[in-house]
Amino acid sequence: MLVYTARRLAVAIPVLLAASVLVFLMVDLSGDPLAELRLQQPPPSPEAIADAEARYYLDRSIPERYWLWMTGIGGNGDIGLLQGQFGPSVRGVAFDIGTQLSSSIYVTIRLVTAAVIAALGLAVLSGVVSAMRQYSKLDYTLTFIGFLALAMPTFWLGALIKEGGLWFNQTTGTGFFYTIGANSARVSNMTGWEYFLDSAGHLVLPTITLMLTSFASWSRYQRTSMLEVLNSDYVRLARAKGVPNRVVVRRHALRTALIPLVTVATIGIVAIIEGVVITETIFQWRGLGYFFIEAVKAQDAFAIMSWLMLSGTLVVIANLVADILYGVLDPRIRYE
Amino acid sequence: MQIRKKMLGAAAIGVSAVLAVSACSPPQDGSSGDAESSVTWIVNQPGGGWNHNAPEGGSVYVIQMLHDILPVTGFWNPEGQWEWNTDLIANTPELIEGDQVSWEYQINPDANWSDGEPIDADDFVWQWKMNSGDGELCSDGCNSRGSTLESLIESVEGSEDGKTVTVTLKEDAQFPGWFTFGVDGLYPAHVAAAEGMDLDTPEGMRESSDFFNANPVTVSGGPYIYEGTPALDGRVVKVANEEYYGEAPGIQEIILEVNTEEGSWVPALTNGEVQGSSPATWSDDVITQLEGQENVDFGIASGGSWEHVDLNVQSDLLSDTALRQGIFTAIDTANIATRTYGEKFPEIEPRTNHVFSTTSEFHEDVLTPTGQGTGDAEAALELLEEAGYELNGDSLESDGEAVPALRLRYTAGHVAREIIAELIQADLAEIGITAEIETTDDLGGTLAEADYDLMIYGWSTTPDFYGSPHQYWHSESGSNFGGYENDEVDELVDAALNSSSPEESAEAANEAATLVAEDAYVLPIVDTPAYFFYDTSFIEGVSDNHAQSRRALWDQTEWAAVE
Repeated sequence: MLVYTARRLAVAIPVLLAASVLVFLMVDLSGDPLAELRLQQPPPSPEAIADAEARYYLDRSIPERYWLWMTGIGGNGDIGLLQGQFGPSVRGVAFDIGTQLSSSIYVTIRLVTAAVIAALGLAVLSGVVSAMRQYSKLDYTLTFIGFLALAMPTFWLGALIKEGGLWFNQTTGTGFFYTIGANSARVSNMTGWEYFLDSAGHLVLPTITLMLTSFASWSRYQRTSMLEVLNSDYVRLARAKGVPNRVVVRRHALRTALIPLVTVATIGIVAIIEGVVITETIFQWRGLGYFFIEAVKAQDAFAIMSWLMLSGTLVVIANLVADILYGVLDPRIRYE
Repeated sequence: MQIRKKMLGAAAIGVSAVLAVSACSPPQDGSSGDAESSVTWIVNQPGGGWNHNAPEGGSVYVIQMLHDILPVTGFWNPEGQWEWNTDLIANTPELIEGDQVSWEYQINPDANWSDGEPIDADDFVWQWKMNSGDGELCSDGCNSRGSTLESLIESVEGSEDGKTVTVTLKEDAQFPGWFTFGVDGLYPAHVAAAEGMDLDTPEGMRESSDFFNANPVTVSGGPYIYEGTPALDGRVVKVANEEYYGEAPGIQEIILEVNTEEGSWVPALTNGEVQGSSPATWSDDVITQLEGQENVDFGIASGGSWEHVDLNVQSDLLSDTALRQGIFTAIDTANIATRTYGEKFPEIEPRTNHVFSTTSEFHEDVLTPTGQGTGDAEAALELLEEAGYELNGDSLESDGEAVPALRLRYTAGHVAREIIAELIQADLAEIGITAEIETTDDLGGTLAEADYDLMIYGWSTTPDFYGSPHQYWHSESGSNFGGYENDEVDELVDAALNSSSPEESAEAANEAATLVAEDAYVLPIVDTPAYFFYDTSFIEGVSDNHAQSRRALWDQTEWAAVE
């Protein structure tokens, strides 16, 4: 297993490097990050522009910049991934890519954890119920809901859910749901309970949005997997031996049927972390999605690269974990 | 199996505990205060640095964040008139007769920074050195975004314990906007000195410039002071400065919240999460949403920038003045104004001067006498026929050959400019000229390389207009992208920059604008409107100010909480 893991990680490194070169080129050729600066009124002095170009390494060639970003050799001490430096941001000296990235991860993990837990729970429940009552009205209803959530664009779903939250607040006069941000401004004055309520009030609407988009596909997986297991020989045998249906479903069928979902969900969680862009934008959560969008808008090459390396690493790890989990959960699979 | 179950259980408990702790422990940012009179205001873009003199910090967003923290010498009121900050400046500074131009500030003796240190000449000296562009005062240009006024100053001297400040311009120098020195705010020089920077050396000054750019000021010389750690890309909390030497503000706390997603503004306003905004960008959608809201007041007026179309006079084709005049005559600016912004702002009018909008006391209509911007295709064709062009079917010809298609460019994704481009294309088709629309992702690069025939873009408008004509049209200006050259205009824009009063400067600017209009180099189209909105159930006394970057925040100390 260890050899297998090491081999997989070794293969991932050149893949990540190739991806980083490609993205670096695309970002670097997409435009001038100092365009706004050059158009300021009154126009900045040539010294100020030269200063900015030197500070952001824009006076170097593209291969030099890439080398600097990767190694930091020849830089000003603020760049070099291998030295733990993500490079200067063209958005200004007050913007530290490393600090922003780490705080963004925390925000996104908070959002994604809640959404994934809820989505997995719902997906398993609806998938199992649908499979147990195949072709019943309930199955059709759950299938319809799943496809509806799958087909709905996230930006629209988010807007609808936001409107729903506003309607609830106005109807009840409670103000429980919040539509922007992860917390209110005045959290330092709050007690633990007030802070919990404030966090929950901010968390619910984006969580529902994110949950529904993930739940839809996962529930379909779970239904298919459950149906396959319920129709297998060993389940039929268990039933023939008179094992109660509840025990057959919980002990024999569900545990086996969960294996595909575990692997799909492992990769899916990473996809959610990377794909949380729209939800975070709609609800103004300053997570990884927001970080990425703002970096793209500012043509902030080093920030985009940092995000890419993080998400690329997450994908590699998630794939690896999914494969390993598959082996752990299914004793028939062994890695050499 | 049993062991695995236990491990899973332990992991679940661990994760739950982490989540519970993270959810139930309010982060302590050092903030405190009364949230009763608290207003949350949206800022629609993050700032890049805390030093408004530096290129990264020279945005409207940073100036709004620094507003009422840094003391200012004066400000532009909504009518575009200059007013002194009488809390800080005890006298009414005037130019002093003498060999060299100079003026004097008497600083309020009670005016102190919040840490008790006096606001004095050192802070004025710092502001001068920062923007002087003189390597002997500050290394490598100090990372300043540049200022004509400070570059003309010979000395800033303090007397009477630094509470009297005398500013003297260099020999033979004069500047019409001399009174705007310190308009965006003075930095606390003593804070930099306390950090160990020697402000008498160019290196120390440069270090202090970078220091103030990277860090928010920890003291205040205005009616508000930062609470906690303000974030340029997140949240800035200002609370009333108890040590302020002037009148206390009506609202105890103002929170500036960076929010780049305009679709979220009105729902947040409705939900009571924010109380208003004066965004720098126009949005029909937001205004449509605001129109249906109760307890919301909003206003629209011509804003701080203007759209125009520039011709590249360096190209062989467009070096012909008659062709340029024909093109500008065929373009209907009134129609463009109506079609771009008229739906939400029916009062909109086309712009008729390059330097002054119609609301300015210095405005003169320099376009109407030329017939440009009227969309009169017949008049345009007459002009062109006189110059030897001929309309043959749908095509304008010169010497029997069709005039080549022109490249009309604008910034990709800019909705208003897309409409403008399409309307110009249609107008030019009327006189047989084909305009091929192309977008650019790199406006600065495209302009710098003059990679266009016609370019649609915007300049900002400010009452501090003195340097604008020079920037737009001087033959040696780096921002004269289309390569316009006219010796008479060069002299006039120099005069606008080097005159002794705004009136004198405006006269030269208007003369230059008249010549530029006759030469058909730049066609002003429309002042971009701007809007503001606020929740009337929360606050009152809010008004917009298009004459300065602070917009509706300009008189935030006058706001009051609704009872």
